Amino acid sequence: MQHTAIALDHVREDLSPAASVMRIRLAQLLVNESLRKKEFRVPVHLALGHEAIAASVSAVMGEKDWLCLTHRNAHYNIARATSLKAELAELRLTPEGVAGGWLGSMNMANPARGIIYSSSILGNNLSVAAGVALAESVAATGGVVFATTGDGAMEEGSLYESLEFMKSARLANVVLIENNGWSMFTRISERRCVIRTDSLADAFGIPYERLTGNDPWRYIAALSRLRNIAIEQRSPVIVEIEVSTLGDVTLPAEGRHINYHHGVAPVTFSDWPLIKQDPSDPVHVLMERLGEPTAREIAGRIHASLLDEINS
Amino acid sequence: MTDYVEYINSRIRTRMSSAERLIAYGQNIAAGSHLSGLTRGLAGGRGSSIINTPNIENALAGIGFGVMLRGMSAIFFCKQQDFLLLGMDHIVNTYNAIRHRGGLGSFTIVAIVVDSGFEGPQSGLHNLSDICSIAQVPGYLVAGRYDADIIIDRHLVSPGFRLIGVSQRLFRTPVIDLQGMPSSNVEGDIFQYYDGGDATVVAFGLALPQAIAITRGFDAAHRTAALFSVNNVWMPDWTAILSSLARTGRLVVVDDGKSANRQSDRFLKDALLHCRPKAVVDVGRRFSIDWARPNADRLEVDVPAVLNELGLPSTQSA
Repeated sequence: MQHTAIALDHVREDLSPAASVMRIRLAQLLVNESLRKKEFRVPVHLALGHEAIAASVSAVMGEKDWLCLTHRNAHYNIARATSLKAELAELRLTPEGVAGGWLGSMNMANPARGIIYSSSILGNNLSVAAGVALAESVAATGGVVFATTGDGAMEEGSLYESLEFMKSARLANVVLIENNGWSMFTRISERRCVIRTDSLADAFGIPYERLTGNDPWRYIAALSRLRNIAIEQRSPVIVEIEVSTLGDVTLPAEGRHINYHHGVAPVTFSDWPLIKQDPSDPVHVLMERLGEPTAREIAGRIHASLLDEINS
Repeated sequence: MTDYVEYINSRIRTRMSSAERLIAYGQNIAAGSHLSGLTRGLAGGRGSSIINTPNIENALAGIGFGVMLRGMSAIFFCKQQDFLLLGMDHIVNTYNAIRHRGGLGSFTIVAIVVDSGFEGPQSGLHNLSDICSIAQVPGYLVAGRYDADIIIDRHLVSPGFRLIGVSQRLFRTPVIDLQGMPSSNVEGDIFQYYDGGDATVVAFGLALPQAIAITRGFDAAHRTAALFSVNNVWMPDWTAILSSLARTGRLVVVDDGKSANRQSDRFLKDALLHCRPKAVVDVGRRFSIDWARPNADRLEVDVPAVLNELGLPSTQSA
């Protein structure tokens, strides 16, 4: 996309993944500022810390591929959008929005950019993704259907049923489990037994891979390979991605640390959007890989372009 | 004589054969008894597919919406209407998230209403109207030949989403084929089978056989009754029925549904407000704990009693 094309004379590396990650981060921080000003009536679930996987999925999607998302879809919608202004308009429920103001945040979809469906119901989007892939299969388009879920949503029976159908009908689905270890305000260990996703995939005969480290170049290579497996083997694949949802807080009264869920995150918008100094923050990973000056230069350019875009 | 299920199967096959890019699916729809014959011999037109699926009702409901999002047509044949309870999330929530969009394909769920009795306490859900009410979607119950023709031709494959219910109780009975000049609106919401001056008889749900029995009672008493069937369980326009009632002044409502939120009650309210009939008989069911054990599950009608309640004793003219 035009808005992720960026070149710096002193850097040989393909900077598109870095630019995409930075754009998703900065755009989310702009949305966060609007949340702080109470500009939206709809609940918004930011995905700070999830930028690397969204940028990578967007990068590997083919023209006939589709995405089915969850309520936490801001990172993918921004990654695929051609206009942040239209995303913000959708959150304001105005006719200029990507869905004409019909969908708001948790169901935001953008079929023109491959986002065919988003659901606010845990697990709901998986069987819809199976249906989209079934249509692609019967019509023999060669399209692959990506579906996101999380470590909370995967507790729903819908995951089991959907994987069963995807495998039985030999559908080219890529199921992305964004595992942040939390479901709202409870950790996995506080609410359920351990689920070995690799063993679950094995039980269905579905290829499985785990991605960690928030490196978009590595993620893109892995996802390209897995997408090809889905096409060649006519099989779903499961990709579990380790993410940290940034913006966590400690409750003053209880002294208890809780994960960010939705609404305003306790971070501010600037041209240097680093939130955490460790690999849980994809911006930190860019900084480590490209060097801080280059990462800052990319951030600065995108920061300026986003402000131009929303003020145009 | 053609059985009900054979007739409906033939109409479905005819409609499907002319539909392109159609995916029909469900459990055992192309195997074994083919859902007691309902789905025997299915084949779509160009680019179509027939799929026997695993037992995954929630996913099967969602899959249809996925197909619909791609502008293609899907039919989910569901062996028992109560199985749809497992897919209600999609029937309500998924459709609400996409119903405003243009370019949607067709998605129809054809469910067998297990009204044949003695299936046990978990298999007797009659409440298509409840399902359609919480989903805010049309739903059509098929009772006989004429309504099957219009409902299947008009709705089985058509942009949008709806449910069609068929009666297991009627499967092996001769398909209802009333003589005369039945009529309906284009959508197949409401059917009129007879006209008459002494009363207006209205069947809701799958109560057309009982309503016919009542009109036969009128015949025996040398009276005439208008006979209607309300086949669309969600928000039909019943102006034609109210016009009939304004002439006859006597109303018989027959509803075999088990809902506490009956569409027939909404109709009765309109009838009482607008027509002020001189006599009303409401033939229906009231909840009983007996529903929760194997039973005949049939709405019985005492025809002479109905005529007596209307002030038209069956012995008077007979």
